[in-house]
Amino acid sequence: MAKSLVIAIVDDDEGVRASLASLVRSVGYEAQAYESGMDFLRQAPGDDPACMIADVQMPVITGDELQAQLVAAGRHFPIIFMTAFPSETVRQRVMAAGAHCYLGKPSSGDEIIRCLEDALAGNGPQ
Amino acid sequence: MSRTGLRSLSAVLAFAVFLVDVLTPLEGAVAVLYIVAILLAAKTNRRDDTIVAAAGCIALTVTAYLVSHDLRTIASPALRVLVSLAAIGITTLLALQNHAATKRLAAQARLLNLSHDMIFVRDRGGVITFWNKTAEQVYGWSAEEVVGQLADALLQTRYPDRREVIEANLVGTGRWEGRVQQRTKDGAALTVDARWALQHDRLGKPVGVLETHTDVTDRVAAHSALVRSEQRYRRMFDASRIGVVEEDWSELRTALQSLDAAGASLRDHLARYPDFVRHARRLAAITDVNPALQKMAGANDASTFIENVDLLLGENDRSFLGALIAFAEGEPFYEGETELVRLDGRKVPVLFTITFPSGPDGDRNVLAFVVDITERRQAQDALLAAQAELAHAARVATLGELSASIAHEVNQPLAAIVTSGEAGLRWLRRDVPDLKEVAATIVHVVAQGRRAGEVVARIRTFLKKAPAQQDSLDIAEIIQEAALLVARELANDDVVLTVETKPGLRPIRGDRIQLQQVLVNLLVNAGQAMSDQRGSRTVMLRASAIDAERLAITVQDSGPGIRPDDMPHLFDPFFTTKRGGMGMGLAICRTTVEAHGGQLSAESTPGAGATFRLTLPYSQEHTRS
Repeated sequence: MAKSLVIAIVDDDEGVRASLASLVRSVGYEAQAYESGMDFLRQAPGDDPACMIADVQMPVITGDELQAQLVAAGRHFPIIFMTAFPSETVRQRVMAAGAHCYLGKPSSGDEIIRCLEDALAGNGPQ
Repeated sequence: MSRTGLRSLSAVLAFAVFLVDVLTPLEGAVAVLYIVAILLAAKTNRRDDTIVAAAGCIALTVTAYLVSHDLRTIASPALRVLVSLAAIGITTLLALQNHAATKRLAAQARLLNLSHDMIFVRDRGGVITFWNKTAEQVYGWSAEEVVGQLADALLQTRYPDRREVIEANLVGTGRWEGRVQQRTKDGAALTVDARWALQHDRLGKPVGVLETHTDVTDRVAAHSALVRSEQRYRRMFDASRIGVVEEDWSELRTALQSLDAAGASLRDHLARYPDFVRHARRLAAITDVNPALQKMAGANDASTFIENVDLLLGENDRSFLGALIAFAEGEPFYEGETELVRLDGRKVPVLFTITFPSGPDGDRNVLAFVVDITERRQAQDALLAAQAELAHAARVATLGELSASIAHEVNQPLAAIVTSGEAGLRWLRRDVPDLKEVAATIVHVVAQGRRAGEVVARIRTFLKKAPAQQDSLDIAEIIQEAALLVARELANDDVVLTVETKPGLRPIRGDRIQLQQVLVNLLVNAGQAMSDQRGSRTVMLRASAIDAERLAITVQDSGPGIRPDDMPHLFDPFFTTKRGGMGMGLAICRTTVEAHGGQLSAESTPGAGATFRLTLPYSQEHTRS
């Protein structure tokens, strides 16, 4: 098995965070869970993950704000957004800023993994 | 000269004549001079004085003759004595006659003085010759002051016609009557009813005028005050923007008295026999209506209404009953609200006060004041509708927020469950299943499932225990407002709504708007249930106490009723029998009522209408306080 890739998971909901981590690990990646955007910025200032799965609605800074900060800091890695309140406006905004996927909650595990693998394979956003 | 003076002078004169007669040799009827003594005595106006003087003079004459002459020769002296005696006799008779006449006149003058009218006599030239006591009192001048004066000049009399015409009239007919203006000594103006009579002498020649004057100043002032008051009333009646109806309820009084029921028993009687109330409406006669009311009723003149109030009041009027009871119980007035039926059949909402004057003629002078409140009613309706809309909007907004939050709260554990499940499957399907990870995911699924359940339970408790407001509410007010809100809609569908709220219902606790909307919903449903129905469409809303803890409100319609098949689903969400209905109304109503600690149920006999019954507990705080 190749050196496992690190997938960052940013979600304020502990249940969602844990289940996503388990899912990511079940397909052989390493999962790093963060309970907020600030948490991620603080704990992983230099190491970019291979990919990030982030919630949109989060306290303090939302998923799309986190994306904007990362872009502003020149940190480019694929981000998969997940939200309980899909909105076309937000979708267009985050996709335009380079997000890889914009998924509703709940989404099927297959869908998430397909997105993840696509992102890691370096395919363009979908 | 005093009476005693006159008597003494008369006596002295008689004695002087006697001495001259006896002592002087004068030949002639010296005794004739006794006449002067008698006339002086007559001046005392005493009949007895005249008679005594006459008797004295006769005695002196005879004595003088006997002293001066003997009886044997009857010659000229005797003749002279006889002449003298005759003169004395005639004079006495005339004096006595004159005395009687004077006495009669004095009696007449006393009578004239007793009169309450001012009476005076003037001659043809207008000079006053008699002036009675009342004239002295009213005009202010004494008789001495005015006798000899010109009446017209003294009293500054102003006549209704030219003076010559009046005088000609008087001479022609012997009488004149009219109203004149005069002034008193103090200068006060008097209005006087004058009655004049021409007085004639024995030959029929007019000699004077007897003027009898009645002071009518006060009467005229009172009358003109009355006229002014009547004119003021007329002006108000004609120009007021308030409708005024003059009514005669005297027949109604008779009808009520024949009922032989009073007080509480009268109310019962009237409630039990609506036919009497109907009959009574026809007995309340209208005598006049003012222009404002004619306009309100769309009529061109008052004559259209000169019948009874039955024409003006609508079929469903309930205010007349109240007025009738107030009238029977001797209340001075009654205020109410009703609908006035225009001639074209349209109805005008009005506020009225009806006054029942006391006094003997009161029943004939019943006045009703009527104000058109169409605009006010519209404004009120609009306000209530706006309030209801606002409340609805607020509720929808709350519901939106609530559903967003529910979605989020429930979605998170659901998402976690799905993801964990799928992760578990993947751990399981690995070449070497990692059972430890599988177990971890299953533990996770169970935990998140529990979490979702808790979220739902939390929301349910929240909804159950939290009607938006918890105010102490007067149910009668809520019913009144709800009835107002639907009044227009029901009226448009020719539905007659009757509200019967038992007085003195204790307050309940809850959300005014929510409960109002439950009632509005039930009332509108009731109206709509009858939309295809011909004949009478009635909705009856009753509110009364069930026991010490609860009250009940029933909404009963006269529609086709509820099909037995529909009955079990009536309160199910999304169940509807209405075209385009959402089927949420009754479901929400029931939830709302239950959230207030009450119950909502329905019963129906197909063909005989439906009845929705809701119960609500009284406010507990109120019970304790």
